[in-house]
Amino acid sequence: MHRFLRLTILLAGMFVATGSHAAGQPFTGTEDQLGPEVPQPIEFPHNRHAGKGEVIDSGAQDPTQKYVGMEINCMYCHTYARRSMVSGIPPLRKCIGCHQSIESVREAPRIKKLFEYWEGTDGKDAQKPVPWLKVHDLPDFVRFNHERHIQRFYFQQGKVTQDEAGGNDGIREVCSYCHGDIAAKNATVARRQKPITMGWCANCHQKDHAVDATGTETARGPNDCFTCHK
Amino acid sequence: MSENGFNRRDFLKTLGWGGTAVALSGCGNTSIEDGAEFVTSYSEPADYVIPSIGVYYNSTCAQCDAGCNITGRVREGRVIKLEGNAASAINHGKTCGLGQAGVQAHYNPDRVTQPKLNGQTVTWEQALAAISEKLAGASGAEVAFLTGGVSGHVRALLDNYLAALGSREHFVYEAVSPAVERAVNTKMYGTAMPRYRIDKARAVVSFGADFLGAWVSPVNFSQQYAKFRKGNRPEGRGVLVQIEPKMTLTGANADRWIAIRPGTEGILALGLINALGAAGVAVPGDAAAAAKDYTTERVSAETGVSADQIGRLATLLKERTPSLVLAGSAAEGYANGSQNAEAIALLNRALGNVGATIETSASTPFPQLAPRVGNRAALTALNDGLAAGKYKVVFTCGTNPVYSAPASLKFADNYAKAGFKVALAQYLDETAQAADLVLPLDSAMEAWATSVPEYMGGEGNYTQLSVTQPLMERLYADTRSTGDILLALLKQRSPDEYSGFEDFYAYLRSALLANKTALGGAGEADDDVFWNVTLSQAIIPLQGVVSKSAPQSAAPALSAPAAADASYPLRLIPSVSASIRDGRHANEPWLQESPDPLTTIVWDSWVEIHPKKAAELGIVEGDIVDVTSKSGTIQTQAYIFPGIHPDAVSMPLGYGHTAMGRYAKGTGANVYSILDAVYDKDTGELALNETSVKISKTDKRVIIVKEEGPAGGSQVNRAKIAVKVSADKVDLSKEV
Repeated sequence: MHRFLRLTILLAGMFVATGSHAAGQPFTGTEDQLGPEVPQPIEFPHNRHAGKGEVIDSGAQDPTQKYVGMEINCMYCHTYARRSMVSGIPPLRKCIGCHQSIESVREAPRIKKLFEYWEGTDGKDAQKPVPWLKVHDLPDFVRFNHERHIQRFYFQQGKVTQDEAGGNDGIREVCSYCHGDIAAKNATVARRQKPITMGWCANCHQKDHAVDATGTETARGPNDCFTCHK
Repeated sequence: MSENGFNRRDFLKTLGWGGTAVALSGCGNTSIEDGAEFVTSYSEPADYVIPSIGVYYNSTCAQCDAGCNITGRVREGRVIKLEGNAASAINHGKTCGLGQAGVQAHYNPDRVTQPKLNGQTVTWEQALAAISEKLAGASGAEVAFLTGGVSGHVRALLDNYLAALGSREHFVYEAVSPAVERAVNTKMYGTAMPRYRIDKARAVVSFGADFLGAWVSPVNFSQQYAKFRKGNRPEGRGVLVQIEPKMTLTGANADRWIAIRPGTEGILALGLINALGAAGVAVPGDAAAAAKDYTTERVSAETGVSADQIGRLATLLKERTPSLVLAGSAAEGYANGSQNAEAIALLNRALGNVGATIETSASTPFPQLAPRVGNRAALTALNDGLAAGKYKVVFTCGTNPVYSAPASLKFADNYAKAGFKVALAQYLDETAQAADLVLPLDSAMEAWATSVPEYMGGEGNYTQLSVTQPLMERLYADTRSTGDILLALLKQRSPDEYSGFEDFYAYLRSALLANKTALGGAGEADDDVFWNVTLSQAIIPLQGVVSKSAPQSAAPALSAPAAADASYPLRLIPSVSASIRDGRHANEPWLQESPDPLTTIVWDSWVEIHPKKAAELGIVEGDIVDVTSKSGTIQTQAYIFPGIHPDAVSMPLGYGHTAMGRYAKGTGANVYSILDAVYDKDTGELALNETSVKISKTDKRVIIVKEEGPAGGSQVNRAKIAVKVSADKVDLSKEV
């Protein structure tokens, strides 16, 4: 009897221990799920740059309070997304290129910090790249290719035409499949929006997607292990 | 079962359930690690720099002296893969395994990263000041430079520096050097390194030239060999016969492999001339005269090659013209090595191959950039100077004599007598360890340089200047290229001339631009255009100078190879493997890990013993044996190998380092340390194959780590397996 109890307690203990370990980890799901907060050197507001150009307060004195976002095409900054594995961080030069002519926010703390990277402090360390941390860091045995997804879901499905109206709805929609709604309030660079687990990827790969703009022909995503696993 | 303890069954149950629980909870936890790494972030990149997309830069391989032209793939500012440059006349877009491992020389964890003075880390200013101080008290004749083969602008700077010091003590030493070949070629063909046209030959008879593995320019020869082997060329498919006492990679590829008694290659060559003359081939008078005494019966008795075999060889050479006969280290590494090589060259002349498959090559139009090559005689001369206490300051660069000099030279002791020893080194190897000052060198992927390959492919008078350029930024801020160091030293001596150059790059650019027209840049109006073209191609094609001296009429007086000493009955044939070579790359783990092509052994040295000899000595595979020569004893594992002459044993060079790095140190045994100091009579080159040894069993046995055969397994039937291999059926020396 003692022996039986001892074994049961031991097993139960082990399950609790491993279970509590598992509970701290993200589970496989398909819904929005925030990742841990990542402390970035600059709290970059995605919503301000890519968000919809809706009017908040047309009479506001501060121009930054007039609109929610600038509706910049995601690929203006993440220019490598359509031709490379990675979407890439815009070079510092690109940030400065715009911001040196946007006087209204020049003194904002985040922008001041940005210019510190560009100009350096006391004439030293000029043009230092911003040390952004990876928020979507897949395990080393997984391969993900931005180019393929952008080409398929943005260019092939004709979302470019959708953007001709002047907005960035098409590309924002495509990026949001994996990165969440960037236009959402308080969308910064600090948190992952989706689980990005294998089950989550496979969930989408098992569905039929249109292969062209007409949407009549559909195909599933590749399902071969070696497509993603190295 | 104990009364109140946890019994075995419970233990297993717990283990099973526990394991399952851990495995289950592990699922899905291998997810992303937010915020653990930095994103590739640039401030102002060039247009073509795209993360995850490779950018390719051309440069020159520095892994061996063949100097292949390479292309490096660079991603996110890091070089990740090397390939051949397709525009190269040397390697035509290919590389060898050794070349592929070049990235491991670059990313090696055991590189020297900072200048070290007597073991203490110092700054470059301190290091250069220390040199300046020591040089102040030394006359020109008291300063010596020991380098490996050098060419290009590094050589030019080195010459300038020696001139500024008033020193003429430049010693060039290559541990495995084709020095005999150069001397004999000059004498017999009128050019030191002619172009061998394997691709034009209908038959190749190679006396121990491992041209597919490690001989002179293996990538070039491999591609020629591929053409030679194709049936669709006008000459038809070529036939390769390899004659050598120890089977090399080339021997394994040959149509016929003939084991010959070590050191009798010249006799066979003369015997073939004689047999050809008898078969009606018009043999020139001097050759016929030299060969007249070498009847087939005599040659067969002396070389151990059957009369039938000699007859077949003569027929082959007679029927298939043009042919090509090559002499490699296996024929040259004897006291009569030059004579052997001369007899083999005479065979080529008798066959009319000179001019057909042995073409005169062109030398570079810039003699100050021409390769300066070396041999053992240089090392011996330096060693004598060191022993006499002649040198106050000694520089070493690109060579490791403390490791590779034969023990009988006592080089390490003599080197210690030098007043101040400066080693320019990428690793803290045996020589650098014995030095007072160690200057850290850039890897070939960080340095600027130019070079002129000694063996040049291509056609006619084509030659080239190869450019080495950095494929990425320095991994360590405090390493410098050889050129940078020489320039810094020159600035100390002749500041007026050199202070205008900020670094070696500036010097190189100005030196090349100054000769723009001669370098084929006449059409490029703009310096920058010429420079960009030069860097993007990294090859400057040049019209070479053909200077051919008249070949000497030679009738080599062949002296017989030394008779075996009864107490050391076996001939030791040190082999040069395609990957480890002379040992300078022993710290690159890919090379240690890539199996030897013939034995498939990895990560260790071995001694190859013929099955019959092994049975005689009672040795089976994996036995740890003592290999003893007059100069010393080393221990290694025995490998029973039918591809070796029964009177010879073979061990690979390059293993058994006592320093250099984590992968090289203590891996295998150092063959150099037991080599007898016997030299080639004509050239003074060390006769690598002149060491005789005896093999004695120790009481240890290991499982050889190799890819081939029934590896590992039970030790019980070990002896049985070995005896089976040694059956007469696989005695290749009789079979071919």
